[in-house]
Amino acid sequence: MEEVGWALARLGAAWLGLVLAFIVVPSALGLSLGISEAYMRVLVKTLEWATIRIEKGVKKPQPQMLKTPAANGIIERDETPMEKEIARLHRVDFEFSDIFYFCRKGFEAIVEDEVTQRFSSEELVSWNLLTRTNVNFHYISLRLTIVWGIGVIVRYCFLLPLRFTLAAIGITSMIVGTTMVGQLPNSSVKNYLSEVVHLTCSRILVRALSGTIRYHNKENKPQKGGICVANHTSPIDAIILTNDGCYAMVGQVHGGLMGVIQRATVKACPHVWFERSEIKDRHLVTKRLREHVADKSKLPILIFPEGTCINNTSVMMFKKGSFEIGGTIYPVAIKYDPQFGDAFWNSSKYNIVSYLLRIMTSWAIVCNVWYMPPMVRKEGEDAVQFANRVRSAIARQGGLTELPWDGGLKRAKVKDTFKEEQQKNYSKMLVRNGSIGSLSTGTESD
Amino acid sequence: MGSAHSVPAEMRELADRTGFTSEQIEHLHRRFKQLSRDQLTIRKENFDSIPDLEFNPIRGKIVHAFFDKRNLRPESDGLADEINFEDFLTIMSYFRPIEMNMDEEQLDRFRKEKLKFLFHMYDSDHDGKITLQEYRNVVEELLSGNPHLEKESARSIADGAMMEAASICVGQMGPDQVYEGITFEDFLKMWQGIDIETKMHVRFLNMETIAHCY
Repeated sequence: MEEVGWALARLGAAWLGLVLAFIVVPSALGLSLGISEAYMRVLVKTLEWATIRIEKGVKKPQPQMLKTPAANGIIERDETPMEKEIARLHRVDFEFSDIFYFCRKGFEAIVEDEVTQRFSSEELVSWNLLTRTNVNFHYISLRLTIVWGIGVIVRYCFLLPLRFTLAAIGITSMIVGTTMVGQLPNSSVKNYLSEVVHLTCSRILVRALSGTIRYHNKENKPQKGGICVANHTSPIDAIILTNDGCYAMVGQVHGGLMGVIQRATVKACPHVWFERSEIKDRHLVTKRLREHVADKSKLPILIFPEGTCINNTSVMMFKKGSFEIGGTIYPVAIKYDPQFGDAFWNSSKYNIVSYLLRIMTSWAIVCNVWYMPPMVRKEGEDAVQFANRVRSAIARQGGLTELPWDGGLKRAKVKDTFKEEQQKNYSKMLVRNGSIGSLSTGTESD
Repeated sequence: MGSAHSVPAEMRELADRTGFTSEQIEHLHRRFKQLSRDQLTIRKENFDSIPDLEFNPIRGKIVHAFFDKRNLRPESDGLADEINFEDFLTIMSYFRPIEMNMDEEQLDRFRKEKLKFLFHMYDSDHDGKITLQEYRNVVEELLSGNPHLEKESARSIADGAMMEAASICVGQMGPDQVYEGITFEDFLKMWQGIDIETKMHVRFLNMETIAHCY
């Protein structure tokens, strides 16, 4: 028994030694040994082979019909505006037929609506050998099944423990490192050291997820005293951005492990963590952020204005609070490649632990980050218009669609004011036709 | 992933009855599960989770149509509390587009079914007639958001339309005649010559799954 215990201990030590040597030390120095690149190449080749096998498996000749990528939805919506459609139907001022337009729109919404789609994971064009994404795909061949089986073994027995070890190392060193740096008096040395600690730990954590991140347009990286704004897909977004530069984060104070990390890091670097009660007081929030931004020596603030995780196919409404602070906005677009691993956190379906487990058993996290040129609020532009302008820029850069809806719809209902809008439009049309004036006696028409 | 996928017999039967392809049925099934939150039946409250639908002024009538038993099975009446997937598909099939290979009789039946669906939407008390009051209700729902429009105006629009309907259906009415309401036959008469098939359908795209196994 003792020998088994000894052997296990030596194995564990050897394992840790390897991990430290090959992964932790290079990431501390910012170097790369090329291991992840090799892994990615093998992975890409395997997935390509799998896709070809799946396509070959299709035996039925496809009739010529409308084809569309899954992401666009299953119905073709008729986009003619209400005015044209109803004008076409009109022979008299008001007809039974007007109801058609609304009826059809209602049915289209029931079959498929733009918003609910965004809170479920993006559908893949081709299967990526993960059980969790197997929605449409059926049994093809023995070879594919074997490859899938090997994939399961590799992911769960090799990659998962490795990633878990790395994550543990990363988080511990973050807490220990920032606490130590936090003991120093405020000086430039302290800032420099805190940056080093943050960067190293982020790099370790990114490797813990097998992250392959490509940064574009690095010349537009956010500068000190600015505000960095990005679209939100998962809690990992923050790590992805911190991998390449230091930011002052903004967020709610959490309990548990997250709270420990927050308390440790705030000693070293001026992050802005709010108590739950304070978030409700918008003026307090804006005031603290303004103070931070005014100090040009402070790190740029990182904000996710959507307020909740969206599934990375579209950008929803940006809350205007972040855009009222002033200062320069540096937009950043983050787009994940779902083929290797889905980073979207559906917080109503999965809790944080099962989410992290899913992330750690995916193939990899691949994403592109685009830094965009800074934007400032123009003369005569209010916060909402500015927010929309920034949002369009991010959506265009990242190849995402834009939706005017609020991410809060994940949990709440639509306000009644929207319904009234549509009714107002319709009745305005009738009034314009002059029908009201001719039918009623003596009432004023609009 | 060794499981073979075979098209179950009930799916085929559903496909024949409602006219959807099996891929479309699978997609609608997924949508059904999403709306019902993985339950087997949907209730009226489940439709509250669709933001796009909130825009619609006749939202209430559309949701009601799903639970109206007259739409689900011929010769039945009343309101259901909850519907299962088969009922859901049945209602959806009212919005199927016409297919190329339909003959005259099928087309005529198709059209009648769609118009019957619409008729039921107007006839809210299930008595087989659209009365003036029911019609006024619909107009008011469509217009209620506009603060400039008073109830009087909505009523006069409804009255005007009913008079037009009466003149088509009954011809000249004597001063003592009371027009009770539009029956389904009158309703059909009103729509003669107007092409509704293209207006009352939702165009489903053909979703090919990437792989099949046969």
